Amino acid sequence: MKLSPMFVWGAALVMFWILIALSAPLLATHDPYAIDFEALLAPPSADHWFGADNVGRDTYSRVIYGSRLALYIGLLGVIAPMVIGMTIGLLAGYFGGWVDTIAMRILDITVPFPFFVLVLSIVAVLGPGIENYFIALALVGWVGYARLARAEAIVLRSSEFVLAARTMGFSHPYILFRHVLPNAMSPVVVYMMTDVTLVILFGAALGFLGMGVSPPAAEWGVMIAEGQIYISTAWWISFFPGLAMVLIGVGFALMGDGLAKMLRIER
Amino acid sequence: MSALLCVRNLNVRFGDTLAVDDVSFDLPRGGALGIVGESGSGKSVTCRALMKLLPQTAMIDGSVEFDGQNILEASETTLNTLRGKRIAMIFQSPASHLDPLMRIGDQVAETLRKHTDLKGREVLKEVRRLLEVVRIPEPDRWAKAYPHQLSGGMKQRAMIAGALACKPDLLLADEPTTALDATVQKSVLDLLVDLRRTQGLSMIFVSHDLGAVARVCEDVIVMRKSKVVEAGKTRRVIDAPQHEYTQMLIASHPDRLTLHTPQAAAHAPPLIEARGVQVRYGGRSLIDIISKRDGGFPAVKGADFTVQAGQTLGIVGESGSGKSTLARALVGLVKPAQGEILYKGKPAQPSGRNRALYLRDVQLVYQHPYEALSPRMRIRDAIAEPLRRHRLCPTNEVPARVADLMKQVDLEPMLGERLPAQLSGGQCQRVAIARALAMDPQVLIADEVTSALDVTLQAQVMDLLIRLQKERGLTMIFISHDLAVIRRLCNAVIVMRHGEIVEAGPTADVFDHPTQEYTRTLIDAIPHLQEAAL
Repeated sequence: MKLSPMFVWGAALVMFWILIALSAPLLATHDPYAIDFEALLAPPSADHWFGADNVGRDTYSRVIYGSRLALYIGLLGVIAPMVIGMTIGLLAGYFGGWVDTIAMRILDITVPFPFFVLVLSIVAVLGPGIENYFIALALVGWVGYARLARAEAIVLRSSEFVLAARTMGFSHPYILFRHVLPNAMSPVVVYMMTDVTLVILFGAALGFLGMGVSPPAAEWGVMIAEGQIYISTAWWISFFPGLAMVLIGVGFALMGDGLAKMLRIER
Repeated sequence: MSALLCVRNLNVRFGDTLAVDDVSFDLPRGGALGIVGESGSGKSVTCRALMKLLPQTAMIDGSVEFDGQNILEASETTLNTLRGKRIAMIFQSPASHLDPLMRIGDQVAETLRKHTDLKGREVLKEVRRLLEVVRIPEPDRWAKAYPHQLSGGMKQRAMIAGALACKPDLLLADEPTTALDATVQKSVLDLLVDLRRTQGLSMIFVSHDLGAVARVCEDVIVMRKSKVVEAGKTRRVIDAPQHEYTQMLIASHPDRLTLHTPQAAAHAPPLIEARGVQVRYGGRSLIDIISKRDGGFPAVKGADFTVQAGQTLGIVGESGSGKSTLARALVGLVKPAQGEILYKGKPAQPSGRNRALYLRDVQLVYQHPYEALSPRMRIRDAIAEPLRRHRLCPTNEVPARVADLMKQVDLEPMLGERLPAQLSGGQCQRVAIARALAMDPQVLIADEVTSALDVTLQAQVMDLLIRLQKERGLTMIFISHDLAVIRRLCNAVIVMRHGEIVEAGPTADVFDHPTQEYTRTLIDAIPHLQEAAL
């Protein structure tokens, strides 16, 4: 398989963040929670590379530690929706009939609500915190995966190699797992990459609204929220976590697009 | 007679690959030249280069002179005065070259309005005349139809009508009959011959089928791997081919292959039998139940046949005749609404509980070689799959069995590591056959297995099937729209039309003394090498 340049750039960016997250204690110049009243709203300098916030915490160290939370939320947050969505979508598409009808009606109920509004209301009911964010994602996020997997399964169901497997007397579960799943995977993986970005962004948005990770934590959304009122005087408090979010998002998006190119089977 | 088209040292290059290598030919005014070759031989690229209809990445050199004008050096503006007006082109798939949202008459009229001075009523009159020329019945009615309302043959005629709109001097036809049923193919070929005579049209006819070319063209060039390997009068090339490849091509034509009909065991009991099998697509609606109708669309309306052990039954019919549906019913992919299938004298339920056991004996090989293999599975694993899943042999013997099966179908062992996309069509078809053989079946149903293959590959796959049948004593059901292939392989044949069996009997009887008009039309439509052009 030839590596696409887009994938290489994206993967490099993502690897960059993973390395930062892993070696955060080594890279950080300060304790991300240490309050230092002498450095209140200090601008970027040799001591505080990205400046300091309203209670004198070092923005650079907080951005570094924030990458841990961002990756944790992004990577963990897509697993449950993907597994649930793939299962429902493949079963619905492959078997059709009433299985499909029921799955699609549930999907129809979920789709009309704006994604974020639904996640927000579920988190509001369950209470703030990452765990509840994950539960909300699992309840709402599967829809996209289910749609994709279903569309693939419908095409594959009547393809000759699936029919051939049927005429070899193989069972439905086996065919689904061995012949349908691997061939339905590529659009789902690509979608998952963009979904990681989305989950990180929404996680940060929840933090911003005070419904995600709770305040003292070094989380990018929380940091942006804290810097909000100082934006005209101390721009660095919000700017650097924002930049970090853009860079991680672009990394996953490039990786997804590159993967889409590579997974296409060339004839 | 001066040459209308004069091609000298034409080269077409895509990046590093040479798609057309030093091709030269002349086409006299009113002449017809056939370009024959297998897929990838560069015949279509040659044809498109003549109109400069290639993507930007193509590098073309040499010279193409049309009526004294060098096409390759002409500007895009000059070309546009030639394209459509003096040189027209028709393609393989009329469906994808007609605008689905435009009425047939309007599509023809569009060209007329663009390239001629005709206005208003005159355009309509001309459209009507053109549709008559291409023998579309009731031209006024069909002119108002949309492409999807037309059959494949009618669409091809409509496209030809559009191409003829400006009375071109030259018609480029790129595989115009390949996607059509045999009888339709014949009528389109007859139309082309007729147009040459009545309209004085010059023609370049690209096809993989030498029989079709022989019907239309008096000159032919044979291409292989981007090069012209032989050129000359069609008659001469067919009767006395000089080049090795041409000889092989002609030897592969069903006309030239020896008949192979397995001897029937004297009074063998039938191995597989269908009794009144009826298959319907679509369910019964409430109204159907109340009015006691069956509902749905009957794809097969009551099929009866028997096949004795070691015999080959041919099922012929055009697209939509229900022959593939019947095959699918035999392996349980669709459930017959009525009737039963008997295997070894006992009722079998191909879609029932014991289907795995039944399917070990009855295997189906599919039409499209690439699509019948799981695209992400290595060849070795694909062949091993039935062995492993059904535990047909101990796990440690699987690799040896796979190697043996690959040998039986003449596949090189090194191909085992590849993915289907890295194989040729013929090789994929062998893998599919090897997979079916892994089950060690008694009955092999081949559904149009040769249709998607080039002639030489087609002959090789047929030889393989014949050999396997001899070695293993296989019983075969061979489904095809190609009567020449059926005639070569089968002892008995059934002819299907609109879901019904219209004629059945021993092959020789059906071919030599058909009792039905429809069978006769089918037989007449077989393209033969001996057909003289004009």
